[in-house]
Amino acid sequence: MNNPYYPIDTLVEDVITETPTIKTFVLAPARPIKFKSGQFMQLTVPGVGEAPFTPSSDPRETEKMEITILRTGSVTEALHALKPGAEVGLRGPFGKGYPIDKMAGKEVLIVGGGVGLAPLRTLIYTLLDEPAKYKRISIKYGARMPEELCFRRQYDEWGKAARNVDFTHTIDVPAPNWSGRVGLVTTLLDKLDINLENSIAISCGPEIMLKFVTLKLLEVGYTPPQIYLSMNRKMSCGMGKCARCNVGHYYLCVDGPDMCYDKIKHVPNVFG
Amino acid sequence: MSFLVHMYYIDATNFERLLKKLSGEGELYVPVRNAETEKLRLERVDTFPLPEGTTFDGYRTVEPLKAIAQLLRYPVAEYPSTDGDDMPDEASFPKTFIVGARGCDILAMALIDKVQIEGEFADAFYKIRRDKMVVVGADCTECGKSCFCTLLGNKPWPERGFDLSVAKVRGGYVVEPGTEVGEKIVGNNRDLFAGAQDQHVRERGQSRAALVRRLETQNAAYPKTDTLPPIVRGALTDEIWEDICAHCIECGGCTNICPTCYCFLLYDQAADGGHFQRISAMDSCQVTGYSRMAGMLNPRARLIDRVKHRYYHKYDYLVLSHGAIYCTGCGRCIDVCSASIDMRDAFRRIKDKAGSRKE
Repeated sequence: MNNPYYPIDTLVEDVITETPTIKTFVLAPARPIKFKSGQFMQLTVPGVGEAPFTPSSDPRETEKMEITILRTGSVTEALHALKPGAEVGLRGPFGKGYPIDKMAGKEVLIVGGGVGLAPLRTLIYTLLDEPAKYKRISIKYGARMPEELCFRRQYDEWGKAARNVDFTHTIDVPAPNWSGRVGLVTTLLDKLDINLENSIAISCGPEIMLKFVTLKLLEVGYTPPQIYLSMNRKMSCGMGKCARCNVGHYYLCVDGPDMCYDKIKHVPNVFG
Repeated sequence: MSFLVHMYYIDATNFERLLKKLSGEGELYVPVRNAETEKLRLERVDTFPLPEGTTFDGYRTVEPLKAIAQLLRYPVAEYPSTDGDDMPDEASFPKTFIVGARGCDILAMALIDKVQIEGEFADAFYKIRRDKMVVVGADCTECGKSCFCTLLGNKPWPERGFDLSVAKVRGGYVVEPGTEVGEKIVGNNRDLFAGAQDQHVRERGQSRAALVRRLETQNAAYPKTDTLPPIVRGALTDEIWEDICAHCIECGGCTNICPTCYCFLLYDQAADGGHFQRISAMDSCQVTGYSRMAGMLNPRARLIDRVKHRYYHKYDYLVLSHGAIYCTGCGRCIDVCSASIDMRDAFRRIKDKAGSRKE
């Protein structure tokens, strides 16, 4: 038995500015941390507190871990002030991770919004490691403005990773010097050339986006068991004990954070 | 009768001698009647004769056992680690003897154990406190106006989860060991105990039956709450919940005093020597900040959603996830409520509504 509340001492090796409000922290924990794509960590800023984040890096790398974070609350505010060399702490991994075993042979549709692409990046690394295992890997991503697009440096590489992989991105509203797609991420789901019956959809983003992505997916013909959503709730312990991150009788920290929509669709206020 | 083999009798004088002996082995907690409020408080005692007001009569104490097993607040980690050992030091935890614990509260501990100890991760601190806790239960000899254990199919005496259990009879107590630890306490103090006589056991049975009748009479107007989970699940209309929580002042008293409510929050603070401490503190799902996330998002921003959540968590979610209703019918939430919200009455309304909807 060990103490699950103790944070593993961790060094901030590098800080990469992704967007004006999003930074990627390259972390070196005192001992290697093995995580499955989609599992999450509790990241401690000493004296400030913890917050849950799914890493954004390749799960095969255990010596270092990247976590990509939007500045939005007290812990993330403190994180954004950190410089390389700072000490933080990590607990985890927690949660189930993405349903990778259900994706083999399937047409996988990945829908991300804003910083929601960060957790999905671990999934992209995992799927692109063996693209032939999947019939198709289609990635759709949207952000509000061009400067809020995360990981722009990797879009070409992802889109060309294999013949069965495509990557499309969009911004919400027109912007100067932008010649790409304009429109909410849901507009990328209007004319899907996907065999719906053999597809599984995974989405991560703000709750309001998850809501409209879900409605759109249902509209185009997906069924609730085919839809997986990265749900957001306040978390503290990460292990199903403190009881606050429930969606219905599920705890996101234990049963999620990615939940099959079929399991939670009956829950009142499911999208907050 | 074969069960008599395991039953003992101890007179009141010897019982106090036994407690004195136990107090030498660890911290002793007993119910003490407060002269002013006339309520029983669970107090640590180490002086003998036992303080005035100490009694094993009556019903549950004001404090539930989680006050000793989980604590209101306790440090769970100090970081960065000073000695590389991040585990609690077991030797620094005292052995505790809880004497006079009631059936409802002993059941409640088993429910919190499921959360804190079972599963992939265990709270090492809670586990040590529980491992070092010896529970001597006691039959209720009275019931409070708010007591409703029988509505849940529970009994006003300890049925399981105790090391020893005592029931008041003329001149002393019938003693029933529930574990090896309890058997050992009897074995090590054999001179204080006698074998229980048929008449003692009969007297215990009569008292128990009489108290069950009293509880059933006082709660006759309310529905059996053990049949509620599917009904709660169906009671989705806001109207009913608005009605139930119309006068709630959002104090969190009901969850704080509940013997089965275990929700907590981890927070960090500065400690000595440039270190930091992580604290686990009891929390309440009835206050707004409980589920509020960064960016002020809150899936339970409305009071009715929080009140609804409390009933659902106890009577539905935990039934599905942990196989039990997280309510033992102790009635503390009824006593503590400044708005006079009575769970029994809430369920009566829910059940009435569910019944009328079917018709």
